[in-house]
Amino acid sequence: MPRSHRGNAMTGDRKPSAINNAVPTKASQKKLNRRRFLVKSGGVLAAGAFGAVPLRGWAADPINIGALYPSTGSMAQIGVGCVAAAKLAVDMVNEAGGIKSLGGAKLNLIVSDVQSDTTVTRTETDRLISGNKLSAIHGCYASALTLIASEVCERARVPIITGSSSDQLNKGRSYTFTPFARASQFAKAQLQMAKLVSEQAKVAVIFENTAFGTSTSNGLKELAPGEGVEIVMFEPYSAGFTDASPLINKVKASGANTLFSLSYLNDLILIVRTVKQVGLNIAINGGSGGFVMPDFYKNVGKAAEGLQGVAHWNHDVNDDAQKVNAEFKKRTGEFAFEYAGGLVAQTFMLADALERAASADPKKVREALSTLDVSSGYAAMAPGGKVKFGPDGKNVYGRPVGVQWQNADLASIFPKEDARAPLMKT
Amino acid sequence: MWETLAQAVINGLLIGGIYALVSIGVTLIFGVVKIVNFAQGEFVMLGMYISFFLATQFGIDPLVSLVVSMPVLFVAGVLIQHFLIRRVLGPNDMPQIFLTFALSLLLLNLSLMLFSANYRTVHTSYSDEAWHIGGLYIPVAKLIAFAVAMALSGLLWVFLHTTDLGRAMRAASQNRDVAMLMGINPNRVFAVAFGTALALAGAAGSLLMPFYSAYPFVGQVFVLMAFVAVVMGTLGNVMGALVASLMMGIAESLGIQFVGADSGLIVVFALLLLTLAFRPSGLGARRGR
Repeated sequence: MPRSHRGNAMTGDRKPSAINNAVPTKASQKKLNRRRFLVKSGGVLAAGAFGAVPLRGWAADPINIGALYPSTGSMAQIGVGCVAAAKLAVDMVNEAGGIKSLGGAKLNLIVSDVQSDTTVTRTETDRLISGNKLSAIHGCYASALTLIASEVCERARVPIITGSSSDQLNKGRSYTFTPFARASQFAKAQLQMAKLVSEQAKVAVIFENTAFGTSTSNGLKELAPGEGVEIVMFEPYSAGFTDASPLINKVKASGANTLFSLSYLNDLILIVRTVKQVGLNIAINGGSGGFVMPDFYKNVGKAAEGLQGVAHWNHDVNDDAQKVNAEFKKRTGEFAFEYAGGLVAQTFMLADALERAASADPKKVREALSTLDVSSGYAAMAPGGKVKFGPDGKNVYGRPVGVQWQNADLASIFPKEDARAPLMKT
Repeated sequence: MWETLAQAVINGLLIGGIYALVSIGVTLIFGVVKIVNFAQGEFVMLGMYISFFLATQFGIDPLVSLVVSMPVLFVAGVLIQHFLIRRVLGPNDMPQIFLTFALSLLLLNLSLMLFSANYRTVHTSYSDEAWHIGGLYIPVAKLIAFAVAMALSGLLWVFLHTTDLGRAMRAASQNRDVAMLMGINPNRVFAVAFGTALALAGAAGSLLMPFYSAYPFVGQVFVLMAFVAVVMGTLGNVMGALVASLMMGIAESLGIQFVGADSGLIVVFALLLLTLAFRPSGLGARRGR
């Protein structure tokens, strides 16, 4: 069902100048300017005289990093968490001394709300790039939005690094970098997980008809025969329905023993609750998206225990990830979900590139990103533990991690190298 | 096959009850006050949040909180009618459209600010329960919601047909000018109509809470179906809106079941177009007019 986002028209484009609504007269403006000038120049002079401010550190211009996330609209829930993670990541880089090759320059995060809307994403990305001197951009988490944003970035020659999983992001682009597993890889992992539950895997696939759902489900369909998994139902649905019963009714009729549901949060909650109501005994793999968010457990409760999913990042991946998780929990009260943790890693990848480029010029940052090769530190905190981009902007070591809800937390259970807990049988 | 069909009809009928509460509100306001309330969905959302907070703060069952959400929204409706709508009633439609549209935007953004975009769910003992009869199942929470929705619609019908105020409202909806000539106080009738419509939206919100998540945009999911039902059931006709809502629910469910899960609305809108082609003023229109 189409959802309009007219409600957000009021929340966009808030420039600080608009807040300054007391219009000073010409005379007072002059006085104000003179006073401001005196304060500034006086302060610098005084500081210089007393030697209080080390001039070199003071002189390093901050490096602008753009962040495109939907903090209003239907995707706001994850978007707001992404913004919190982006801030945490920038704080971490700055507290560690900023970019040393640029005189300890600090990262300056410029957040822009893309309002869960593709049209707004296009104009906001344009506005962000033309209105600021950016070195790089990260965003938008939702593939449908990232596809648009990355097009704009390509044209403006500003590198964009993203946690979005659509394989389309790796086609015909040279400024787009995707450090984590691709949708097609998610599909393979999900199919292999289906066989953890039953050797005779009969899978029903339901997916929302968006870029994310379609790309992931097509991957599943292509790979299923090779993995020895039979797909008995393959059905798109329009996101944001009022009632999941008809859909579950169909799943029941298909005779599947595993359900793959590729959905964002609200639909997935309805789907899981409806499966319980129907009393359908079926293993559910919720994929990624809303399923691996802290809110999922809060909304579904105990019924979520034992449900499986896949993620491009999980907080038990390594010690660095655990540290990030603890800090994120302190700030937001939730564990660091995949996009949040992934974003921290991405920011450190950007920092690594800036360090080597020794320049804030977006083209040089792109060059440096394309030769990135890390296997330790926060930049490498990902399943696989290494990041190096191929010519298509894809991390050659990227792979997804299979997770399961265990005791209100997400535990990594698949593949063996990444498993941090055994599979819980349901 | 028959089992699947029966189940699809049950599912559609149950959700149709909720659509009915929303669309009856829209049609009541249109019939009596002659304005389209674009903010109706947002009042469903407010009803949901009232029930959510009563449930989480005071442990009150969402169904019981109906006795709070309905009066609160009734009073809100009377106040909105008195202080806002009354001032834009006139020959020009535009101010009215902008007023209710602005109200919708205001409530949406206010709730985004106050409640955040998070999904809020209430768990009750019957939330995930269902009765199994043969191969069919009936979710308890939805059955209760449907039953209460039908009871409220019935009460409204009785009110409109047996009380003086109800008759006055029907008179105003049939011919406002004549009704006024007969001595009906329009402001009083309008206020009660607006309040009643909002109370129904509040009821829909409370009834939804045990099985649906509350979030600021939730109203827009339901209001689309409500508007379709209002047009199909003839603008201003309460019984028409009720019947059309149930039909919409069933059409959507059958569409998802037999056409495709991403095209439930195809059947809904096909049905609407067919209805308008053969009965241009909707199902509830009197013949020969």
